[in-house]
Amino acid sequence: MAARDIHGPKPPWGEHFQVIGKGHRKVDGLAKATGDAIYADDIVLPGMLHAKTLRSPHAHAKIKAIRTDKALALEGVHAVITGSDLPECYGVIPWTPDENALAVDKVRFIGDEVAAVAAVDEDTANRALELIEVDYEPLHAFLDPNEALGRGDPQIHEGRKDGNVSKHVKLDFGDVDGGFEEAEVVVEGDYSFHGTTHGAIEPHCAVAQFGADGNLTLWSSTQITHYVQREISKVLDIEPQHVRVIQPCLGGAFGGKSDPFSLEFCVSKLAMITGRPVKMLWTREEVFYAHRGRHPAQMHYRTGATRDGRLTAVDAKILLDGGAYSSFGLVTTYYSGQLLTGPYHFPAYRFDSTRVFTNTPPCGPKRGHGSVQPRFAFEIQLDELAEKLELDPIELRRRNFQGDSTETINGQRITSNGFLECLDKVETASDWKERRGKLPFGRGLGVAGSMYITGTNYPIYPNDMPQAGIQLKVDRSGLVTVFTGGNDIGQGSNSVAAYLVAEELGVEVSDVRVVAADTDLCPVDLGAYSSRVTFMVGNAVIDACRKLRAQIVDTLAATWECDKKRVRLMRGMALDLEDSERAIPMREAFQLTEAACDTLGATGSYNTPKLGGDYRGGAIGASPAYSFTAHVVEVDVDCETGFIGVKKVWCAHDCGRALNPRLVAGQIEGSVYMGIAEALLEDHKVNRFGLHDGPSLLDYPMPTTLDTPEIEALIVESVDPEGPYGAKEAGEGPLHSSIPALANAVYDAVGLRLTDLPFTPAKVLRALREMKSAAGA
Amino acid sequence: MRTLHLLVNGDRLAVAAPDHWTLIEVLRYRLGLTGTKQGCDKGDCGACTVLLNGKPTLSCILPASRAEGHELTTIEGLRPAHCAAGGEGTDPVQDAFDRCDALQCGFCQPGMMLSARALLNENAQPDRKTIQEALSGNLCRCTGYTQIIEAVELVVADAAGVDPVLPAWQVDRDGEDLPLAPAVEKATTAEGDN
Amino acid sequence: MLRLPPYRLLEPSSAEEAVKLLADEPGEAMLIAGGTDLVPNMKHGLFEPKTVISLAKVEGLEGVSDSDAGLRLGPMTTLADASQNALIIERAPALAQAAGVVAGPQLRNVGTLGGNLMLDTRCRWYNQTYFWRKGLGYCLKKDGTLCHVVEGGARCVAAASNDTAPALMTLNASAVFLGPDGEREVAIADLWTNDGIVNKKVSTDELLIAIKVPPQAPGHHGTYAKLRRRDSIDFPLFGCAVRLDLDEEGTVSGADLAAVALVARPMRVKGVEELLLGTKPGSEAFDQAVEEVAQLAYKRCRPLDNVPGDAEWRREMVPVYVRRALRSATASSGA
Ligand SMILES: Cc1cc2nc3c(=O)[nH]c(=O)nc-3n(C[C@H](O)[C@H](O)[C@H](O)COP(=O)(O)OP(=O)(O)OC[C@H]3O[C@@H](n4cnc5c(N)ncnc54)[C@H](O)[C@@H]3O)c2cc1C
Ligand code: SF4
Ligand code: FES
Ligand code: FES
Repeated sequence: MAARDIHGPKPPWGEHFQVIGKGHRKVDGLAKATGDAIYADDIVLPGMLHAKTLRSPHAHAKIKAIRTDKALALEGVHAVITGSDLPECYGVIPWTPDENALAVDKVRFIGDEVAAVAAVDEDTANRALELIEVDYEPLHAFLDPNEALGRGDPQIHEGRKDGNVSKHVKLDFGDVDGGFEEAEVVVEGDYSFHGTTHGAIEPHCAVAQFGADGNLTLWSSTQITHYVQREISKVLDIEPQHVRVIQPCLGGAFGGKSDPFSLEFCVSKLAMITGRPVKMLWTREEVFYAHRGRHPAQMHYRTGATRDGRLTAVDAKILLDGGAYSSFGLVTTYYSGQLLTGPYHFPAYRFDSTRVFTNTPPCGPKRGHGSVQPRFAFEIQLDELAEKLELDPIELRRRNFQGDSTETINGQRITSNGFLECLDKVETASDWKERRGKLPFGRGLGVAGSMYITGTNYPIYPNDMPQAGIQLKVDRSGLVTVFTGGNDIGQGSNSVAAYLVAEELGVEVSDVRVVAADTDLCPVDLGAYSSRVTFMVGNAVIDACRKLRAQIVDTLAATWECDKKRVRLMRGMALDLEDSERAIPMREAFQLTEAACDTLGATGSYNTPKLGGDYRGGAIGASPAYSFTAHVVEVDVDCETGFIGVKKVWCAHDCGRALNPRLVAGQIEGSVYMGIAEALLEDHKVNRFGLHDGPSLLDYPMPTTLDTPEIEALIVESVDPEGPYGAKEAGEGPLHSSIPALANAVYDAVGLRLTDLPFTPAKVLRALREMKSAAGA
Repeated sequence: MRTLHLLVNGDRLAVAAPDHWTLIEVLRYRLGLTGTKQGCDKGDCGACTVLLNGKPTLSCILPASRAEGHELTTIEGLRPAHCAAGGEGTDPVQDAFDRCDALQCGFCQPGMMLSARALLNENAQPDRKTIQEALSGNLCRCTGYTQIIEAVELVVADAAGVDPVLPAWQVDRDGEDLPLAPAVEKATTAEGDN
Repeated sequence: MLRLPPYRLLEPSSAEEAVKLLADEPGEAMLIAGGTDLVPNMKHGLFEPKTVISLAKVEGLEGVSDSDAGLRLGPMTTLADASQNALIIERAPALAQAAGVVAGPQLRNVGTLGGNLMLDTRCRWYNQTYFWRKGLGYCLKKDGTLCHVVEGGARCVAAASNDTAPALMTLNASAVFLGPDGEREVAIADLWTNDGIVNKKVSTDELLIAIKVPPQAPGHHGTYAKLRRRDSIDFPLFGCAVRLDLDEEGTVSGADLAAVALVARPMRVKGVEELLLGTKPGSEAFDQAVEEVAQLAYKRCRPLDNVPGDAEWRREMVPVYVRRALRSATASSGA
């Protein structure tokens, strides 16, 4: 895998930035503010049909027969498709293609897709669904991961080697048993993490048009245009150059739109059959079935340390409930172990992680993919350890800090590391020293730390091509257009691309246009997942800009007959730094360069250097840079009701360099909100019938303004050697430690160790009572 | 099917719709006003909020006939109304949301901004608690609400001619301010580095 | 999106006409006020009326008027208006509070007092989509033969979930209905049955035309306390209204307690007045009485697994919220 040019954090012109590091409007902010922005469901094409999906009412069943003739005969119905129309399997991970757009011979959870109808309108399509007859033969349904682990018959996915196990990873590093022998204190315990879901406010929607020229265009609310293009090509058997996937404005994703989904294949197929554009918009209920959210996890952890608080070994056993399909499960299983080995130094580490299939909505990547659950368990253990050792929990974390420019026990390369500064910031801001352990009963502070990847070395399908590509077009009008395959899902990646171009080429941000996430127009980027976009697309943008900048600077230096060093491009002007008479607008600079060098354009790309340990799976979780976070959470526990009131959260996050600090703060705040929501309110589960417990935004309670704590975002800038101007990620890391910090705060407040999420008031009250009666006994 | 006589964003419109249609269907499917978003189908999320006689209302569960003869404002109406009143750019609420980067995915925001606009029309100086109450029927999944509340407070501060309270992350940073105009101000002087 | 089933919409301009339209299609026509309950329910296929009769244009159903007989509240008064109405805040504070914590702000702008009183009961097995309920084999309340809350139960125990009902009960309010045979007035406390399928003794051709709140004692205090997971939007997991009348000495001269989100009917907890009478807020006797009331309520109120939230925990919340309601009712008296 070729490492592309790494330009380093320093710009060629010196130290100072004109654009970077400051607050800016987003390139699409005003369009979003005025309602002009077009999301998938806003697209209306002439003659467009509307499609709907028939879903399985059984958690696990064989399909004996499907009869669609009555549905097809209904006036206004244009096509009905079933599994046999799209028999090819797919899956986001090429090693585990176990999904069908529509069930082929069995259904695996309540809500699994069985048939699709295209009709003149949604009402007609819905009526047609009622006319489709399906004969099912129900099979034993697995709703409990422990049962699925112990029992392989019936198999949810037939023909696999290992019963209902989806993936098993066992790795050990260093001398774990020796580490525990050396340990003077050992903490050990069980922790459990529940299922939670993304809850993006925009439901999934896709529109397909199949041109008479044989070109398929698919507009979809996806965060992975490139992978969707690949899978559509495969399943529909159209050569990829004839498949164009476009991501319109996207109404939130958080990982929930990073698989190829049934609706994308169905609208494409239906458009091909009918010769008309077809739209499918899922209801909120359907989004809950499609899920791909956080895996419920049962975890057992053992951590050893010396009396002065140095970790000697960590041993973890994890059971992940994967739901009905693989999705990213292979990666999830690795991540659940691989991403724990920072910000602390682990001398020895072992994890044994198993993902099983159950007959429930499939789990996948949700913000902090795979590593939020282990982080919860481990950071509570650190708190327990601190207590046993009578050490301040922040001090314990400091003592185990791994440092920067180092390698973890599992072979991950750590470059920049601002974790200590994160700890300092939250310690000071929360007045930790004065208040922790000293607040009245019921109130308390808790701390936790974490790290997360900034993209990964592993490109999902093995290849040597860049992970991110950019094209730049420089126009004599003064406009610079950036073509990027990157998916802006609200995190602002298009804006970041524009800021970088503006900084490099000296134009105003408003003179940069971003064309993104259109596979016909834009070079490939792998998509918005693993917190990779700012880092990888950003580096590719800089790579492209440097080529153009060199042309422009050369041309001006030649024109002005001065040293190149004197030429500076900034804020819409090209300047000779030593001759204030010489200042021309960038438009003129572009024209001079175009005259000298011909039509202006450049490409740029990024790929990670070779990373990761030299063992099977060593590249999974190997990231070119890691972000670091520390949280302090303050709680007020109502001992009469069990409600945990979160008074305030301080979150310090090391994002390398804050390209636009306002966007970084927004990512920190959104992450903290989501973490606290998971801990206290949300619970994604099925009931005793295998039916989703409440697939609506009423029954799945996402916090309102009144339920969201005050959040203080604190930005730490470690300036990474390989990030674009030193930037790393900010979108996922700041979620992790919010949950264990909250748990640790409850311990400080009332002496209760909460290890079983979610922390519902009922559970808290019961635990308080048990604690009291145990103390009384 | 009935003909509805609506006053949408100042325009009198006659539009035919089936009896059982909700207002959001008329707005999005008949009038092409797709700025109003649909997030939950049934009154749980607030994305579909429009102003009916100035009051925030959920268009996904409002029978369309209820709008007959009443004044409706959708997100598309804010900027034209601001311009018609002699203003520049967008409504201050829209502008403040943009300046604060409160618009992450933006999907909740048409509804959110309309709730904020309605609040400020009634109360030009709401305190934080009042702002939170007024926006408590609009779910946002991206922002943690922080920059949304900052944006509303920015409108309040601007109207009162005072400086907004800076968030903690911004306090120690120099050279930074809320961007005031869509374009950064033009460079006039060179800097000394390089 | 989730679709509404087709229906014919009628918009009468008088109450009499509305009642006649109801009678024209017995069982097939339904009234719609704000629609904030009915529309989601229709989207879930819980009601499939052929005809929906809108009250939006009916004259005389809105607003609050005052007379010697007390307050007369039009059923089309929105919850937002009711919660901000000066007369209601002064004379019936528990009602203003209850109206102010129903759902979220947008829903209160459209949802009405009448619709709230007439709200359908709620259940986690029932307030779901058609697809979901079908997968379950439906339930007693709609289309099915089983109850999933009380396994083997022959009676639906879906929960009364209207926040304003207990407040109105403690205020001894009454409801005035117009039917084909004319008007009738019924105490709100007597409106309910224990059947979760239809928990009101109201015929399908009757129209609620007014809610009457009689004059309260001079030292009237009232409050509403609501248990819910989120501080906005959510239905009650338990709600209780209290009335405390204080005489000139500040001694309790009358009291009442009613609760909701337990079983099919909003219920009055009997025997509360006896415990509190003659005690003085701030005194030990009062505190002791409050405790006794809380325990009494705990004994009487047995939440079922009908709405979300652990039923056992909801029960434990009963005394807590009763205590809190009683204390906050007197907080404003300066006692
Ligand atoms: C997300 C969400 C959250 C909610 N939270 C709460 C909550 O916390 N607490 C709560 O109490 N409610 C809640 N509701 C329900 C509802 O918003 C309120 O109860 C509201 O008061 C209902 O009034 P409406 O006018 O909209 O009723 P409608 O939906 O119009 O009517 C409700 C029922 O009453 C009947 N009806 C209405 N008016 C009359 C009349 N004059 N005569 C005879 N029958 C009549 C209708 O036929 C219908 O059966 C919530 C709703 C939603 C969607
Ligand atoms: S209580 Fe029983 S019968 Fe009534 S709605 Fe719930 S499940 Fe159905
Ligand atoms: S779409 Fe109307 S409230 Fe969610
Ligand atoms: S900005 Fe995405 S939901 Fe609010």
